[in-house]
Amino acid sequence: MIQLTIDGRAIQVQDGATVMEAARANGIDIPHLCYHPDLSVSGGCRLCLVEIEGRPFPVPGCGLACADDMVIRTQSEQLSAMRREIIDLFISDHPLDCVTCDKAGACLLQKYAYEYGISETSHDFEVSRTLYQDDNPFFLRDHQYCILCGRCVRVCSEIVGANAIEIVGRGFESHVATPFDGPMIDSSCVFCGSCVQVCPTAALMPVSRRGQGREWDLDRVKTICGYCGVGCEIEYARRNGKIVYAQARPDAPVNGEFLCSKGRYGWDFATSPQRLTRPMIRRDVAYDLGLTDDPWTLPDSSPLADEKPRIEDSFVPVDWDTALNLIGERLADTVKEYGPDSVMGLSSARCTNEENYLFQKFMRAGIGTNNVDHCARL
Amino acid sequence: MTNSIREIRDADCLFITGSNTAVSHPVISYEVIRAVKRGANLIIVDPRRIPLVDHATLFLQIKPGTDIYVFLAIMHTIIREGWVNDTFIAERTEGFDKFKAVVEEYPPERAALISGVPVEQIEAAARIYALGERASGTSIYDDKRGHSAILYAMGITQRSNGTDLVMTLANLAMLGGHVGKPSTGVNPLRGQSNVQGACDLGCLVNVFPGYQAVTDEAKRTTLAQAWNVPSLPGEVGLTIVEAMHAASEGKVRAVYVMGENPMMSDPNTSHVEHALRSLDLLVVQDIFPSETAFLAHIILPAAASLEKDGSFTNTERRVQLLKPVIAAPGEARPDWQITGEIAARFDHYLGIAREPGYWVFPSAEAIFKEIAAVTPIYGGMSYQRLAGAGISWPCPTPDHAGTQYLHVGKFSRGLGKFNPVQAHDPAEQPDDEYPLILSTGRVLYHYHTGTMTRRSEPLAWREPGGFVEINPADADGLQGSGGVVIESRRGSVRAEVRISDRVPPGTIFLAFHWRESPANMLTQDFALDPVAKIPEYKVCAVRLKQA
Ligand code: SF4
Ligand code: SF4
Ligand code: FES
Repeated sequence: MIQLTIDGRAIQVQDGATVMEAARANGIDIPHLCYHPDLSVSGGCRLCLVEIEGRPFPVPGCGLACADDMVIRTQSEQLSAMRREIIDLFISDHPLDCVTCDKAGACLLQKYAYEYGISETSHDFEVSRTLYQDDNPFFLRDHQYCILCGRCVRVCSEIVGANAIEIVGRGFESHVATPFDGPMIDSSCVFCGSCVQVCPTAALMPVSRRGQGREWDLDRVKTICGYCGVGCEIEYARRNGKIVYAQARPDAPVNGEFLCSKGRYGWDFATSPQRLTRPMIRRDVAYDLGLTDDPWTLPDSSPLADEKPRIEDSFVPVDWDTALNLIGERLADTVKEYGPDSVMGLSSARCTNEENYLFQKFMRAGIGTNNVDHCARL
Repeated sequence: MTNSIREIRDADCLFITGSNTAVSHPVISYEVIRAVKRGANLIIVDPRRIPLVDHATLFLQIKPGTDIYVFLAIMHTIIREGWVNDTFIAERTEGFDKFKAVVEEYPPERAALISGVPVEQIEAAARIYALGERASGTSIYDDKRGHSAILYAMGITQRSNGTDLVMTLANLAMLGGHVGKPSTGVNPLRGQSNVQGACDLGCLVNVFPGYQAVTDEAKRTTLAQAWNVPSLPGEVGLTIVEAMHAASEGKVRAVYVMGENPMMSDPNTSHVEHALRSLDLLVVQDIFPSETAFLAHIILPAAASLEKDGSFTNTERRVQLLKPVIAAPGEARPDWQITGEIAARFDHYLGIAREPGYWVFPSAEAIFKEIAAVTPIYGGMSYQRLAGAGISWPCPTPDHAGTQYLHVGKFSRGLGKFNPVQAHDPAEQPDDEYPLILSTGRVLYHYHTGTMTRRSEPLAWREPGGFVEINPADADGLQGSGGVVIESRRGSVRAEVRISDRVPPGTIFLAFHWRESPANMLTQDFALDPVAKIPEYKVCAVRLKQA
């Protein structure tokens, strides 16, 4: 354990902790842009400068290892002046489009410009990067907003392991790029959106949220992903009851801030026009019951043989009571005539615990059979 | 999983087999990447050159179906070289001597001949895994031996000797004593959001909720009392694949399907279709008109998981709460409401009277209360406690914190048993007529039978259609992009070709998401694993024809 003082508070930390980590663990927020708790330290933005007692110059707190009896100050007149100068430089080539920007309210650069009272740059304004890449339906890359913090590059290599992007070029030329600036789909990108998640500005944004409302227009609900068995927690940002985009939160118990492509972008199936919205009875059964006047027989060809089969062609919609009564009656008849073991229940690994529980209870305590299974094996 | 997902990042050695983790469980692969960046060794045993191989320190590329020989040879080496964890074996296990005698018959030289993996690689894997060696950096654990964890998935279980393979991996873990500690264990990665929960809550033919055997009379009586019924069935039921055979024979007459698509997911599609067509009653409750729904008599519209309350249990046994994000479309209802209503009406037609609220619950939470009351491993859970980070079972009492990793100090059965397992070859081997091996599985952007992901615009953009992966060596004579016809003894399927060295020569890979190229037309349903009744999706014999 190491003992040090930050902003007048005595703090104890594990060996090897940085000043940034020590401060955060104790609720002291040091301004930062390139630092991210899940990524390696880059030390590029220098916004996290802190003063160490007995040393002439401030140093970046994100890379500074704690040492015994260190005395650290994270706020001072001198530090504020330096931070103002850094932000001033950042916004000398970052358009202040905050009035129309979708990221407003969640942008870190905007946050610090506000906190340090910088409304315009004192330098000559010139955008160094102008590339605008909308080459995929997952996310947009609008380089004029990029501050070259490198978080996206690090997350792609250190967490995702995809190594799809890197910072290329020097000076004004430098930007985040796929090999030869090609489209994302030709790179090793897996469209996980982790880079979008950690980008502090509007340089990387989900396509689905373009023009769909700003942070304060959206409400948020967290639930568990319905795809694989990892159990990622996903936060959906909604407007008027519709999903605008999905992201993950650092406190998500399993996945932290990270998701895969299906979880982050694959939620739009839910509003597909092909969803089933009414109970339906097959036309031949409906005819026998007098629910339709047209006789019909199930074709012999496999449903797989038909390229785009339409469910309306084979089924007629009915109300819930008609459907539920018919099922109750036919199941009862089957059990009366052939016994409980002539019924089989197939439940689902995509349904909830409550649904699976009730389903097997129905098969066992209702029907009276252990013929209940799901595709655990498939 | 015996251990939790977050522990993976701190492992000293990871041993991954039969899991294309970056594709089927991407977020777990992120943990693997973190471990590797911190200096862990990553050993991969797989026939395919999966994406994680780029990060591996050791890749044992086996011929499909020969992994059992490699595992046995690794254990042979560990014993021969004295890398076993003697204390662990002495204190916590039984049956070692008998097991050792079997393993002695499987030296690395034999495995090398059969699997194509060089002896040196087998021996290196044995040392690194057993001793928990790191590639670089220092362990966060200060044990003499590093912490090694095994991760596996369907490449192990979807095999005619799947149960043997799972027991073999457990044997391997016990040899090194890599159980009951953080960042160790034998960790099956489960494929679907709530496959763990569906098993936990008894949607299996042989167990009631909480893995209580249906054949155990005492358990049966207790549950019958809790459910207020005179008795419960005591015979093990029919699994999906068995039920399909029974339906063809007229023994099963009615099938109620909640959110499954056996026409795409089950082996030997033609046979499944024949079985489903022979039924008197097929009810399909789903969110989309699946291929199976087209054969149903009655279809019921269900709410998707984004539209309802409830809970899921993930692959590390963590029970977490769902919250509705959007409204269900039209008249669609949550599955629990539908099942409850069907059950109540079934009672009515049979003239059975039960207390009100027996089937029809006011909320998902009310059902969960009943779950906790009859399922010992969920006994201490409530919605109130699950809010936040959830709880991992076993959690028997309201003051129990849940269980991050299993088998601390002792196994659930007491001593860990070494099961002497012999090697077996896949049921259907390639021959002159059908010279290639077909493996099925998933691609990154799609999920299962594709009903959801293929209707997602960005995902369908990234991977619009079905394709079969073929090694350049097997692609000779398949000119152009005209596609190919894959034939097995069960059926034939047309697919676009993707030439790729991710598959070894002699093996082709076709995911089962594609209705235009339904892989399960080809797979076999005759040789199930004798215990787990799992079909051998990973190995069947096929041949290719120019389309
Ligand atoms: S795109 Fe975003 S995350 Fe990447 S360097 Fe630019 S500002 Fe940083
Ligand atoms: S989406 Fe994922 S893989 Fe693609 S560049 Fe971003 S972090 Fe890398
Ligand atoms: S946060 Fe420390 S240098 Fe950027």
